[in-house]
Amino acid sequence: MSMLEVKGLAVRYGRHEALHEVSINVAEGETVVILGANGAGKTSLMNAIAGRVSPFSGSIRFLGEEIDDQPSHDRVEAGIALVPEGRGIFPGLSVRDNLKLGGYPKRARENAGSTMERVLTLFPRLAERLDQLAGTMSGGEQQMVAIGRAVMSAPKLLMLDEPSLGLAPIVTQQLFGDLERVRQAGTSMLVVEQNVRAGLKLADRGYLLTAGRIVREAAAADLQGDPDVSRAFLGGLEDAVH
Amino acid sequence: MFFSTLLFGLVLGGTYALVALGLTLQYGISRIMNLAYGDLLIAAAFLTMLGFTSYSVLPPIAMLLIVPLGFVFSYLLYLFVLRPLVRRAENRAALEIDSILATFGLLFVMQGVMLLIFGGNIFGYSWLDNAVDLFGVRIATNRLLALALAILLALGLYLVVTRTRLGLALQAVANRPESAPLVGINVEQVAAYAFALGGAMAAAGGVAFSMIQTFTATSGTALTLKALVIVIMGGVGNLPGALMAGFALGITETFVAAFIDPGLTLAATYGIFLLVLLIRPNGLFGKAAG
Repeated sequence: MSMLEVKGLAVRYGRHEALHEVSINVAEGETVVILGANGAGKTSLMNAIAGRVSPFSGSIRFLGEEIDDQPSHDRVEAGIALVPEGRGIFPGLSVRDNLKLGGYPKRARENAGSTMERVLTLFPRLAERLDQLAGTMSGGEQQMVAIGRAVMSAPKLLMLDEPSLGLAPIVTQQLFGDLERVRQAGTSMLVVEQNVRAGLKLADRGYLLTAGRIVREAAAADLQGDPDVSRAFLGGLEDAVH
Repeated sequence: MFFSTLLFGLVLGGTYALVALGLTLQYGISRIMNLAYGDLLIAAAFLTMLGFTSYSVLPPIAMLLIVPLGFVFSYLLYLFVLRPLVRRAENRAALEIDSILATFGLLFVMQGVMLLIFGGNIFGYSWLDNAVDLFGVRIATNRLLALALAILLALGLYLVVTRTRLGLALQAVANRPESAPLVGINVEQVAAYAFALGGAMAAAGGVAFSMIQTFTATSGTALTLKALVIVIMGGVGNLPGALMAGFALGITETFVAAFIDPGLTLAATYGIFLLVLLIRPNGLFGKAAG
């Protein structure tokens, strides 16, 4: 059974249709990447799953349960954690408080102590800077805070929207190494990424999203070097100009 | 003279700080500009007076009942009057205008009810007004008690905000409300608690206020304005800021009254306020952005 099952999802902003009949699924323990150019609808898809935008039609099931009507904070409680584009951390709070807030869901509270240890082992840099205000850190470190905070909620499904955005190539490489370790720990992941190579290297499977439609689904290895993928990105550039 | 003025300033500042803490919770976290804030405070002052003069309930004992009452009243007010405004507001500016209009109406309702019951006279009661000697200064016992209550309540609030789960959620919502749902925080619920907690502080402030000052059914408006000045000086939503600004204003007012002219206290208050707005619009302790 799929952990996450999205069926026929449509998202509209006024008359603009950002997603059209999108169906994807993520299995338990699987890492899935959504590839697509700017404006293809990747962020809309993530936001719809997290409950930050209401779909126009379609259904979203998580662990067999329909979650379409759940507000976003309840979806976090159910086990979906989103690291949004722009990270969504609390810049005015310390790194420690940001991480503690990650453990806010009831589900995560019991093991908060051991999860915190795990996060700090994963990101030793954060352990050195627990008292620093999150907003004063570098972009890469803020991304670590955002991911660490999401891991703190002991998610069943970790969603990352463009984790490499705005990061230097070396930092991106490091970040994907960290994500690989999160994956190996058994967390299911849904990742949106413009960095095709890094995204496919991390994922088991991938979808290609073009102008709000899923045009291709294949194992990550098969998508590497696929002409459809490179074409989608070039075509996507035209779509990006609405 | 200097030391006694400082002590009186601390007493006044303690009440101000208490009052401003509540308003900064309501404005900074619930995003409700509550113009009826001071009237809740005065209602608490009337209740305290009534309890003391008619039923001989001592003010600190009355506080144990009035503070939870302020909490429940404000919680229900949020649920039934303000939450509908929050839900329909398209953005923060719209909510600000709606909440100002709604609580402006509430202000008149509350003042009307109090005028109806108590009339327009000046009220007050005397309890523990015997003077004690403190480091060579003669000061009324009730003033010292009011200061002690203010410090105790501020400390309690500080512990709630820094040591509890709700407190952490309050800080998160104050810092970035749009990010709070990402960690599973129900922002609407937290906003309701923050508003109720603010009402509890107003009620506590009212009890302390009634012990050291006289008041009328319409005194609330001036208190709301003063609390707002302190909140903005301290930085909206900034609890330590409100605390410091409250004490600073209390001390300034007593010094101006003692050494320059009592008629100038209000002018001094707003003079400082203007200065802060011009030089540090995010408050004395506010961050430049975010």
